[in-house]
Amino acid sequence: MTDRDDHISRQRFMEELRRYRKGSVSRRHFLGVTGLGLATVALGQGLGPRRAWAQEGIGDRVAIATWPNYHDPADFDAFTQATGAYVDVSVFGSNEEMLAKLQAGGSGWDVFVPTNYTITTYVSEDIIEPLDLAKIPNYDPASFDPRFAEAGTVDGKVYAVSKNWGTTGYAVNTTHAGDRQMTTWKDFWDRTKEDFSGRTMVHDYQLTTIGNALKYFGYSFNSVDPKELADAEKLLLEVKPHLFAISSDYQPSMRPGDAWMSMCWTGDASQLHRDIPEIAYVLGREGGEIWSDFYAVPKDAPHREAGYALINFLLDPQVNAREALFHGYPVADKRVNALLPPEVLNDPILYPAAELLAPLEFGAAVTLTDPNRAELMARFKSA
Amino acid sequence: MRLFALAVYLFLYVPIAVIAVFAFNGGRSATQLQGFSVQWFGRALSNPFVVDAFRTSLTVALASATLATVFGTMAALVLPQARPRLRAAFDALIYVAVMVPGIVIGIATLIALVTVFGWVNPVLAAVWPGEAPPQLGLGYGSLIAAHGLFALALVVLLVRARVAGMDRSLVEASADLGATPWGTFRQVTLPQIFPGILAGFLLAFTFSFDDFIIAFFVAGPQTTLPIYVFSSIRRGVTPEINAIGAMVLAASLTLLVVAQLLLRRGTSRARG
Amino acid sequence: MARRRIGATLLLAPAGLWLLAMLVLPLVVVLVFSFGERGPAGGYAPAFTLANFLNLGSRGAAFRNTLVLAPLGTLACLLIAYPLAYVLAMRVGERWRTVLLVLVIVPFWTSILIRTYAWIFLLGGQGIPKLLGWLGLGQPMLINTPFSVLVGIVYGYLPLMVFPIYVSLERLDKRLLEAADDLGAPPWRSFWQITLPLSLPGVATGCLLVFILLMGEFLIPAMLGGGKVFFVGNALVDLFLQSRNWAFGSAVAMALVVVMLVTVTVYMRLMRRWGGGRDDVALM
Repeated sequence: MTDRDDHISRQRFMEELRRYRKGSVSRRHFLGVTGLGLATVALGQGLGPRRAWAQEGIGDRVAIATWPNYHDPADFDAFTQATGAYVDVSVFGSNEEMLAKLQAGGSGWDVFVPTNYTITTYVSEDIIEPLDLAKIPNYDPASFDPRFAEAGTVDGKVYAVSKNWGTTGYAVNTTHAGDRQMTTWKDFWDRTKEDFSGRTMVHDYQLTTIGNALKYFGYSFNSVDPKELADAEKLLLEVKPHLFAISSDYQPSMRPGDAWMSMCWTGDASQLHRDIPEIAYVLGREGGEIWSDFYAVPKDAPHREAGYALINFLLDPQVNAREALFHGYPVADKRVNALLPPEVLNDPILYPAAELLAPLEFGAAVTLTDPNRAELMARFKSA
Repeated sequence: MRLFALAVYLFLYVPIAVIAVFAFNGGRSATQLQGFSVQWFGRALSNPFVVDAFRTSLTVALASATLATVFGTMAALVLPQARPRLRAAFDALIYVAVMVPGIVIGIATLIALVTVFGWVNPVLAAVWPGEAPPQLGLGYGSLIAAHGLFALALVVLLVRARVAGMDRSLVEASADLGATPWGTFRQVTLPQIFPGILAGFLLAFTFSFDDFIIAFFVAGPQTTLPIYVFSSIRRGVTPEINAIGAMVLAASLTLLVVAQLLLRRGTSRARG
Repeated sequence: MARRRIGATLLLAPAGLWLLAMLVLPLVVVLVFSFGERGPAGGYAPAFTLANFLNLGSRGAAFRNTLVLAPLGTLACLLIAYPLAYVLAMRVGERWRTVLLVLVIVPFWTSILIRTYAWIFLLGGQGIPKLLGWLGLGQPMLINTPFSVLVGIVYGYLPLMVFPIYVSLERLDKRLLEAADDLGAPPWRSFWQITLPLSLPGVATGCLLVFILLMGEFLIPAMLGGGKVFFVGNALVDLFLQSRNWAFGSAVAMALVVVMLVTVTVYMRLMRRWGGGRDDVALM
C-alpha cells in the first residue's frame, strides 16, 4: 500500500468525489476507483475481510461529539455496516460547549473530540478516563508525531489519542478582495470594517475569536492579561456590527457566497478551496493557533465498548487516510501519511510554510477556565 | 381580503413544501436537489437514534399530558370551593408557571436537580443495603416532571374556565335527585367540562412533543426528537431531517383525516 | 363541610406538590445561586455577593433586543393574524371553515426546528434574495438580521394568534352586525364599533400568549440571527453552555422573570382597563 502508484491524483480524486456527490457514479464505483482498498468494508459486502468488527458484540449504537465537517459520513456508514453499531454524530463549535455539556453530566457520548489544551482540565475535573489501549490495537504510539500527540498523555497516562492537527487562519473569497493582498490578522479585522463589512464570520469560540483579536495588537494568542483582553474586547465590539454571523460552522455560509471571509480551520479551508478555488486560506503573519485534536472517552460513556471500537476503526490507517482525503486536515500518524498522495502532503493549506508556522502557538489550558475570557466572549455575543 | 388570506397560506406552506421536496433528494444536500430518491425515509426509519428519540418524545408527551390532565382537572374542580388563601396561592403559582419562560424553567430545573441529586446520591449510597445503590439522574423523570409543569398550568386554566361556565343548577338538581357525588361528576359535570379537558390534554401533548428548550437542559442522556433535530441541524443537515419532518407531518395529517372521516360517518349515520 | 374541605385539599395536593417541586424549588435555587460565584472551572460556588446583579448591565443589549423585538413580533403576528381570523370567521362558509382552520395549524405539527430551518434556506443567498435579484430588485441581505428573526417569529407563532381571535370573532353574535346593517351603518363603522371591540378579548389573549413565549425565545434568534440578533434567552444559554457561569446566569434568569412579570402584569392591567373593566380578558 505504500506504493504511490496505487493512488490516484488529487485532481482525479476530487473529480471522482464530485461525480459521486452529484450521484452520477455509485459509491461502489467511487470507492473502487479512489482505492485505498477499503471498498469492501464500506460496502460491508458479506462482511468478509473485516468480520472481526462484528464479533465484538458492541451493541447497536455509539454516540460521538465532534466538530463541524470533521468526518466523512461514508466512514460512519462503513462502521455501521461492519459492526452493526449506528453512529450518532453531534457537532460542537467550541471546547467550552463540550465541557459544559460534560460538566452537567449525562451527555450520553461515548467518544468526543477535545483539543490539546483542554485535556488537563478534563482530567482534573474527573470527566475522562485513561484509555484502555488494549481495546485500540490500531493505536501505535511510535508512529505519532509527539508534537501533536503528547497533549493526550497526562501524568504518564494516555487519556486521549491523536485525531488530527491543524492551524486556525481565515478563508477569504478572493473575488471580493480586489488587488490588496491579505496576509495578516490586521488585514482580517481592518477589512471587515471596510470592504468586507457584513460579510465576515468569526468563530463562536472564545479561544480563536479572542485569540485572533489579540493578535491584531501583537499580543499572545493565549493572553489572559486584563489590559490586553480589554483591547481585544474593544476591537471585537467595534467589528461586531460588520459581521455576517458568529458561528463555528461557516461552510454553509461561505459556499453560496453569503459570507466572503471567515475564521477558518485547515480542513474547512481545504474543503472550500477544493470546491471553490477562489477561496484562499490565509495564516496571519502575526501568528495565531496551531492545534491538535484527540479522541477521548467520557467517564459516563453509555456504550463504552462501541466507543472504543469506533476509535479503533477511525485510527485504522486506511480509514484515517480516507478521512484525511475527505476532510483535508493533516494527520500526525506517519502510517497514514504513507498512504496519502503527494499532492496532499505538499498542499500548502495543510502544511504551511515554515515561516508561517513558526509564530503559531498551541492553546493554553488557562484560557479554557479563565473567567475573564469566558465573560468577554459572552459579552461580545450579547452586545 | 381573500387575497390576503391566500398570501398567508402561501407564507405558511412554502417552507413546508421546501422541507417536503428536499426529503426526496437523491443527494446528501438539504439545499441542492440532486435527483429523486426515497432513501432518506428508509435511513431515518432504520436509524435507532431517530426511532429512540421518537419513542422518548412520545412517552414523555403522553405521560406528562396524562398526569397533568388528571391532576389539573382535579385541582380545577375543587379550586372554586377551596379556602380563599389557598386558592390565591394556587392562582399565583399557576400564573407564574405560565409566565416564566421555558428557558428559565429548563435552566432552573437543571441546576436545582443537579444540586439536589448531588446531595441525595451520596446519602442513598450510604444507606442503601444492596451492592449497587440507585443513582438519581436526569432523564425520563425530569423530562416528564418539567414538561408536566406547564401542561398542568394549562389544564387548570382551560378546565377552570369550563367549570366557571358550567350550569351549576344541573349539579344541584342531580344532587337533589339523590345521585352520588361520583355519579353527578360522571353524568353531569364531566360531559360539560370535557371539551376543556380534551383541549388541555391535546395542548399539553403538543407542547411536550414539540418542546426543545426545556428538554435541551433537563433531558440528561435521553434524546427527544427536537433535540435530535437540533443536533442534526448543527452537524449539517442531510435530507434525513426533512424526511423526519415530512413523516411527522404526514402522520398527523393522516390522523386528522381519519378522525374527520370517522366523525363525518358518525354524524351522517346519526342523521340518517 | 369539613369533610368536603379535606376532600378538596386531597384533590389539590398532587397539583400543589408538583408546582412546589418543579416551580418553587427550582426558582428558589436560581435565586440562591444568583448571589453566588462562578466555580473555578465554571459552574457554581457558594458565596454571597451582589456582583452578578451589578453586572446585569453587560447584558443590556440582550434585554433591549428582547424588549423591542418581542412586542414587535407580537404586533407583526397580530397584523397578519387578525385579517386571516376575520376572513375565516366571517367570510368563509361552514364547509370550508374547519379545513382552512386546520390548515393554519398543520405547519405547527412538524417541529419548529425544521420549520425554522426551512427559512435559513429561504432567506439565505440562494433563496428569496436570489429570486429578488432575478426580478431585478437587488439582492438584499436578509438572513442574520432582525428582519429574518421577525419572519421566523411570525411563522412560528402565527397559529397561536389566529386561534383566540378566531374564537372570539366566531362567538360574536352576528345579529348585532345585521342590526347595524339594518340601521344603515356602513360596514367600516359596524366593524369599528361592534366587531373590533367584541374581538378584543381574543386579541388580548393571543398577544399575551405570543408575547410570553417571545420573551423567552432562544431558537429563532439562534437559527436566523447568526449569533448577532441576541435575545435574553440566547444570553442565558451562552452563560450555561459556553461560559459556564451558573451564578451570573441565575441572576440573568431572575432578571428576565422579573421583567416578564412586570410587563405582563402591566399589560393585563391596561387590557382590563381598555376592556372597560370586563373580567373576560383573562388569560385564556
